Amino acid sequence: MSFATKAEESRKVNVVPCSGIGKTYGSVSRLAAYVVTEDLLPERTCLVALSRLVMGDESAREAISGSPAITIDGCSLACATKMVRESGGELAGSFAVLDVYRRHRQLKPKGIAELNEAGEDLARVLAHEVVETIAQLSNVPKEGQHG
Amino acid sequence: MPEFLEFTYEKFTIRVAGDCLYSDEGLWVKLEGGKARVGLSDFIQQRNGDVAFVEVKPVGEVLRAGEELAVVETIKVDISLGMPVSGKLLEENPVLEITPETINQDPYGAGWLALIEPSDWQGELAQLMEPQVYFERMKLQVAREME
Repeated sequence: MSFATKAEESRKVNVVPCSGIGKTYGSVSRLAAYVVTEDLLPERTCLVALSRLVMGDESAREAISGSPAITIDGCSLACATKMVRESGGELAGSFAVLDVYRRHRQLKPKGIAELNEAGEDLARVLAHEVVETIAQLSNVPKEGQHG
Repeated sequence: MPEFLEFTYEKFTIRVAGDCLYSDEGLWVKLEGGKARVGLSDFIQQRNGDVAFVEVKPVGEVLRAGEELAVVETIKVDISLGMPVSGKLLEENPVLEITPETINQDPYGAGWLALIEPSDWQGELAQLMEPQVYFERMKLQVAREME
């Protein structure tokens, strides 16, 4: 098992989910982002709200600019990915909820404010895929630090 | 008749192909050497969002107009689509099994759904709408839904 170098450790990976409120796939993307940034890799990642980038929030743009970012889009408009690029972020990986669902059809997400169990499971699967990508970027343990 | 009739509402531009006829549900039908190629109109695909899965009835089935031809699962809904005309199912689009999003990308072209051998084309022709009629109806529907 290998670990992040000190230099890599200092570079947190920004995780930017979809901001689509009232959309099931948006909810899955946000839950996945919470699982990554709060449960699996809290010390290696930072959650950045897409809406702050859209609004031109300076601190959000500063956080994104020049740092690796992983986006989780809720639909093919791919707003998170586009916005990270426009904000000068270094796109280290981009995920789409739909792609993950196509590989896990048994996990059909439903609900918006409250996802069904399958939707929550789908978010966890997606979160682990994000962690895999971060692990490949920085050689942190794949299991995550609190997973 | 132009190649496409176009209607723009806010950020959405919806196209109606000028060389197809349309069912009530918004399936397009195009006669090709006595066979009817069928697909989802641009309006239907945009309204229902990114396609996750497509399931078309088995090739060889003989179905009456209105009987279920396919179920399309999108990020928003599952849509049951009826046969626009009676006939035998000759082909389903193999591309949709691997890349169902082709429906979103090219609804009147590579994203076609099925090829049918109509059993009573002339008799059922009156059930289908001319492009201009479908175009006007679609505009009314958009206006109603945006109220």
